[in-house]
Amino acid sequence: MKCTICKKPAVIKLRHANLKLCPEHLVARVEKVVAETIKKFHMFTPAEKILVAVSGGKDSLALWEILRKLGYRADGAYLDLGIEGYSARSREYSEKFAAARELKLHVVAVEEELGTGIDGLVRVARGKACSLCGTVKRYLLNHVAYEGGYHVLATGHNLDDEAATLLGNVIRWEEGYLARQYPVLPGEGKLVRRAKPLVFLSEREVAAYCVISGIQYIYEECPHAVGARSIALKHVLNKLEDRYPATKLTFLRGFLKVRDRFRPREPVELRDCPICGMPTAAEGPCRFCRLKERVSHGAPA
Amino acid sequence: MKHRGKTYEVGPGTTLERALRELGIIPETVLPVRDGKIVPLTHRIEEGEEIELVDVISGG
Repeated sequence: MKCTICKKPAVIKLRHANLKLCPEHLVARVEKVVAETIKKFHMFTPAEKILVAVSGGKDSLALWEILRKLGYRADGAYLDLGIEGYSARSREYSEKFAAARELKLHVVAVEEELGTGIDGLVRVARGKACSLCGTVKRYLLNHVAYEGGYHVLATGHNLDDEAATLLGNVIRWEEGYLARQYPVLPGEGKLVRRAKPLVFLSEREVAAYCVISGIQYIYEECPHAVGARSIALKHVLNKLEDRYPATKLTFLRGFLKVRDRFRPREPVELRDCPICGMPTAAEGPCRFCRLKERVSHGAPA
Repeated sequence: MKHRGKTYEVGPGTTLERALRELGIIPETVLPVRDGKIVPLTHRIEEGEEIELVDVISGG
């Protein structure tokens, strides 16, 4: 198998892109796709301060590395979720990555902000672990970005993540979520702009980028994600992709063309949470503050 | 081949892609790695060779 570009031995075949690539050209392609995505969706400029949400996994570390190589000013934020064993290991990968490159990494312990980690939250609050964790992560990462004066919060969501989320939202016809699914979401007041520069790269490409670039990341999956709906949706999409290459890319690109149809007629009004002052669409305290209150009472939320 | 803590014996001469399909693994859901380098799916497995299959799916 030869590289489509230079004819040297290829190590990976990307059926969705009709490419066979050697290590050098896989790295070049990944960085080019990210650079083009940032520009196409006006995610941020080199003059802006970027905060990368870092988990110790392949996507966030690859994103941080790529932004750095492309010349962007990017710091990292790692949330210690308080998941036994897993959090300590993922934190170690994040801190080693940052230290080796002399990058700034903010570390925030969920337990200090919420009163318990995700393991404890799952025991006292109603709801699925991934959903609760998502609420906590969105809140705290936005908080770190806002307090730190960052212009944008960049996350490592990749093509597989976005296609799976889209499939889940379409199955349930979650029009509100569909309206908000986009590679970049504008900031407003204390809500910091959010961007997903890896949105057109498959998980496999990102994993290959890490292996080739020597980026050490946590291979193991979060113990709370075992049996998660998002992973089941990914398996379904992978079966389709295996049979019909480029299914995920076509699905996402097609959606982005028609997404405006799901925009609400009236914009969603954000208010300040009466407890923490951060923006929320809810009347009364934001979801994070409600969870925090339940945690303090030790009762189901 | 090693995958999720399990070891699978594969006959020499078999391509990685074929070996994965026989195990019921969709080839594009893993990244075969040997000595820190990616091994292409067209590679024919050699006697005594050890390959790790890194899962590329993450989620939650």
